[in-house]
Amino acid sequence: MSKVAGIPPKRALPSKEAGLFKEVLTLYETRQLKKGLKTADFILKKFPEHGETMCMKGLILAHMGRREEGINMVKKGVRFDLTSHICWHVFGLIQKGEKNYEEALKSYMQALKFDKENMNILRDSAQLQTQLRLFENLVETRYTLLRLRPNLRQNWVALSVAHYLNGNVTEAKKVLEHYEKTLKNVPDNDVEHSECLLYYVKLMEESGEPQEALDFLDNNRRAILDKTAISEIRARLLTKLKSDAAESAWSALFKRNAECSDYYSEYLEFRGLSLEGNSPEALAVLQTLADAHPRANAPKRLSLSVSTGETFTQLAEPYLVRGLERGVPSLFADLKSLYKDDTKKDAIEKLLESALERFKKDSAPEGSTEPTTYLWTLYFLAQHHSYLGRQKQALSILDQAIEHTPTLPDLHLFRARILKRAGDYLGAATSTNDARTLDGQDRFLNTKCGKYLLRAGMIEEASSVFGLFTKKDAASPGADLEEMQSLLYILEEGHAHELNGKPNLALKKYFATKKIFDEIEDDQYDFHGYNLRKFTITIYLKMLKWEDTLFSHPAYVKAAISASRILVSVHDDPSIVTALSAIAPLTDAEKKAKKKAKKAAAAAKPTDDKKGGAANEDKGLDIPVTKDEDSDGLKLLGCSDPLERAFQLLRPIINVAPSNLQVWLALYDVQIRRKKLLQAAAALHHAKQLSPESPGLHLRIVDLKHRASKLPQAPPAPIGPVFSEAVAKLDPGSIAPATFNSQYLQLHASDPEAIFACAQALHAIESPLDEVENAVFTLLADPVALDTKMARSVLRFLTSIKSTRAEEFRAACDKKFELSTLFKTPEELATLRKKVLNPKDAPLTGSKEAKKEEVTP
Amino acid sequence: MNIRPVRVEDLMGMQSCNLHNLPENYTMRYYLYHAMTWPGLSYVAEDASGRIVGYILAKMDEETSENEEPRGHVTSISVLRSYRRLGLAKKLMVQSQESMAEIYNASHVSLHVRQSNRAAIGLYRDTLGFTVKDVEKKYYADGEDALSMHLSLKRSV
Repeated sequence: MSKVAGIPPKRALPSKEAGLFKEVLTLYETRQLKKGLKTADFILKKFPEHGETMCMKGLILAHMGRREEGINMVKKGVRFDLTSHICWHVFGLIQKGEKNYEEALKSYMQALKFDKENMNILRDSAQLQTQLRLFENLVETRYTLLRLRPNLRQNWVALSVAHYLNGNVTEAKKVLEHYEKTLKNVPDNDVEHSECLLYYVKLMEESGEPQEALDFLDNNRRAILDKTAISEIRARLLTKLKSDAAESAWSALFKRNAECSDYYSEYLEFRGLSLEGNSPEALAVLQTLADAHPRANAPKRLSLSVSTGETFTQLAEPYLVRGLERGVPSLFADLKSLYKDDTKKDAIEKLLESALERFKKDSAPEGSTEPTTYLWTLYFLAQHHSYLGRQKQALSILDQAIEHTPTLPDLHLFRARILKRAGDYLGAATSTNDARTLDGQDRFLNTKCGKYLLRAGMIEEASSVFGLFTKKDAASPGADLEEMQSLLYILEEGHAHELNGKPNLALKKYFATKKIFDEIEDDQYDFHGYNLRKFTITIYLKMLKWEDTLFSHPAYVKAAISASRILVSVHDDPSIVTALSAIAPLTDAEKKAKKKAKKAAAAAKPTDDKKGGAANEDKGLDIPVTKDEDSDGLKLLGCSDPLERAFQLLRPIINVAPSNLQVWLALYDVQIRRKKLLQAAAALHHAKQLSPESPGLHLRIVDLKHRASKLPQAPPAPIGPVFSEAVAKLDPGSIAPATFNSQYLQLHASDPEAIFACAQALHAIESPLDEVENAVFTLLADPVALDTKMARSVLRFLTSIKSTRAEEFRAACDKKFELSTLFKTPEELATLRKKVLNPKDAPLTGSKEAKKEEVTP
Repeated sequence: MNIRPVRVEDLMGMQSCNLHNLPENYTMRYYLYHAMTWPGLSYVAEDASGRIVGYILAKMDEETSENEEPRGHVTSISVLRSYRRLGLAKKLMVQSQESMAEIYNASHVSLHVRQSNRAAIGLYRDTLGFTVKDVEKKYYADGEDALSMHLSLKRSV
């Protein structure tokens, strides 16, 4: 660290201590923490108010795991010496460890005030500025770094990248050109140089200079090592330039990789053709490519998309037969997109029926076909029927197949899927378990089984199944899956808890999802420095863009919306929390789970209180994992600020997923309760633009009108008039909420979602309970096509409004959805669940008998 | 099916595919590290709806000394069970190997496989031409041995 002229007297140390302080710095850099601590203490004995030493001591303590003590020491140290760059630097490091990037940057800026040319602090600041997307400031910092060390290649590239991020492509390009001029004698096969050239090509492309980019690419063919990248960029540039040479560029690309469907669609576009719709011209092109690349699957498959009639049948037959003969499990998934064309669907059905006949005969002992071909044909046919909604037919074909070969796991997996579609979640779980036991080595089958068990609400059992493949030393299977960021597991388990009436545990999982996304957002931090050192710029720029929209990921959106729904519900009815907290004795399973959670928490507990200071081990500055004090999530559920938390969850999505209707609706639910009237109305305006007739939107408009009419007095200007205007815009007729609701219902009288929304709206405007119930029960009448999932939501709604007819609705659904297990009584479910993992040992009395007794209203 | 070089936005799909299939899992940071360090080496197979159904996550061996030839290494490769028998693993592997040789001048590629994983060993040996070079005792967290398999990338044609 460089010297500053005019050291303030309280910082100045006698030469012995000054030497020791330097030693502390070195000991810290080399992570000799114990020695560093001793030395610092030695100085402090004589100079107990020496701020810089205090800060260094605090920093060392934090690294040793004595975090709190260390941080207090640092804070004290800063107060003793407010003009020391070391003190501020240390403080910034601590804040950075807490992921408090804004505050860390402020401390770094303070540090720079007192040591303007400190390279370390400048570099760290640049990383923080990138993380915070403060690109104007980043340009300045990078410029300073370059000015201080113009000989460092990296600094030129870093400045160029800063300009690029700041939206100034021209300047980015100029800086890079400067840099390239300074290069001499670049060795062959220099990956870093190659990456740099690709970045330059990108800059040219984005400056609207495709021809220059192309020439540059051609002139540097040897130096750019990533040949795939070259070929892709060339083909795309030549296409943009409408050059004749594009033809050969594309053919070079197909030669490299004939299975990239992106290439085909882009090439067809170049030829003025498309993969959408039937086109003999496109077909001709694809057939030529299929001939040129006889082993490639892509052109054959794409040919099916653009052909029609007799030609389609002629092409589809060998494609289908080959897939069946090879036993390709994904054949149906591959072809189903063709079903949107009825004639293709019928043609495939015909081909299948005749193939089935042929293979059936041939699969007899002396036949010429592999018996498995017959099997895969049955498998395909079952998928075909299931897809078209014929579940019973699908099931009977599949059972035929299973009888033929009971040992093929894929058959059982698909059986599970059919049952799931019919609402039989427990039967589905049984089938996945059958599949799993056929190949215990296959984690895929295991994952499916665990997932289906969760869908059936069997959380304990799912955990045991998942545990067959998770790390044995993890606190629990779930803990390992969470650490490995398994979004599938977390969301499914959260959902299962919700269905089991445990919103507290569900909420824990949804917040765990948020934690994963926060981690991934933090992950980029180190790469702000790393990629510049490695010169991998183009991929780095793409990574930044991706991070910017990270929270639009469906898993995050789902978790945030679900959590926000729960938080809103406890805001509306805090008795949910008290009811859950007061729950009488735990069941055995729950006791076990609790014990496990306790063990898990104990295992996660950091060992820092084990004689602090004895170990020299560096624990870093990141906040360590702390003991989970709220393993059942009741504190979280009963928090004092549920709406604020819901808003914090939704906030990161709003700008990155503006076309997601559900996000706007969830946002409305939160904002209206936070009394943010204008923002609530604005959310509905966004929703209306996306889907004006959506039932979810209708429900909220009624709710908003009702709430507006009940305001004790109009909000003061300017909010009041703007709000009234906004409400009026959502319902230009300005009709009374009840009338508005019944009008909507009339327009959508047979749409189950609309009917349900209207029933919920009746509840929202405080209509009598029986009116709400009557509206709900029309869902059961013909011709309303109520499905199991919606019926389940309706049942939950009835329960939540304490309807006395909930049981009646449940029984009716149980009768209506013959196969479904969603509407069983808890007792029935308990019996059924016992059979899932061990069907053979379970009592033979099936669900139907049990049902007969219970159903009598 | 779409086989193409990995994009950053594929990494989470890759991670999900890995968690479905294999017992060796990694946090997103490790996937990012691969993509940020060797952007041209990893490939994905994507179905028509954009789901990642297969992937190869690859790197260069960082422990080579000055005079050694660069080596590629497959960190992880897998294909969802429901997308097997399409030859995806082979196609992914071939693409990645080409890039290892072209960009980094790799002389050969290595990978580790559980000794008990007969299906995978069969694929690497019979379909892809790998040979067993070594047995690494207790390579896996649960104590299982790994076979270290190698394939030369020197063009014989």
